[in-house]
Amino acid sequence: MAKTIYVVNGPNLNLLGTREPEIYGASTLKDIEDRCRATGTRHGLNVVFFQSNHEGVIIDRLQEAIDKAQGIVINAAAYTHTSIAIHDALRAFKGFKIELHISNPHLREPFRHVSFVSPVVDAVVAGLGTYGYELVLDVMAAELNKDEFRRSA
Amino acid sequence: MTRKILILNGPGLTDLGDYGDGNDRGLTLEKVRTECTELCHSLGIELDFRQTEDQDEMVRWIKKDSEGYDGVIINPVGCSRAATVSFPVYRSAIRTIALLRKPVVEVHMNNIFSRSAETTGSVNEPAGAMGLVCGLGVHGYLLGIRSIAHRFELDAV
Repeated sequence: MAKTIYVVNGPNLNLLGTREPEIYGASTLKDIEDRCRATGTRHGLNVVFFQSNHEGVIIDRLQEAIDKAQGIVINAAAYTHTSIAIHDALRAFKGFKIELHISNPHLREPFRHVSFVSPVVDAVVAGLGTYGYELVLDVMAAELNKDEFRRSA
Repeated sequence: MTRKILILNGPGLTDLGDYGDGNDRGLTLEKVRTECTELCHSLGIELDFRQTEDQDEMVRWIKKDSEGYDGVIINPVGCSRAATVSFPVYRSAIRTIALLRKPVVEVHMNNIFSRSAETTGSVNEPAGAMGLVCGLGVHGYLLGIRSIAHRFELDAV
């Protein structure tokens, strides 16, 4: 059966392509979604892609993923630096988790240097632009298609 | 003109026995080199892959040798720990490359932010290279190479 990956996008990412393109690039969220779906199709993965500006909605979808998905790619955007609730929801998910950022938060304002997401995921990928979405889905596919997928503690 | 990528590995990376688990068990730096070489070859990129036990040599490579390359990938290991004295030196070296607008990606085998990572009371702080990939083992290097290759394509347009 096809593995399911949730690609979760946080606040303001719906403005991609128009908001500070010098930082985030010219791609819109729809462009990214299309490329994620194409990548998923290539690997035989079922990609569930969504965005919300609301913390509670993101948490509801992360909880839904517990039963429905084998992997999560999370770009929690600004909630990365504020949300203990997203931290807790991610801890409850036992599949493969990758934190993704389009830019590198460590190069930016000090208030973006702490992530509540990083301690509860398997991996962090930042600063590779919107191409990062396709790259992490390739890794997800490679890892999830292994017979015995590695588990972090 | 063939593009060139420099991959620099810091102290301790000759022994990767502790890093690999599951299918990565038995990972060695030679295997990492082989995978990187194969990927670069398929992308038409020239690769220079190095490792040193000497942090000063690492900084010299970053500052001086990186001039001749179009992109740099660094696995600094301990150099990126905020607690070590060499960290400010390392960070300034990275900024030197970034100022030249060349792609730099910092790679770590493990998730350096993980709850289970030993932080010895300090916070692991990456140097703020352009890209950061941690926790994906050998995949991290391959993502670094592919992201730099993608940048080359975008620049060529």
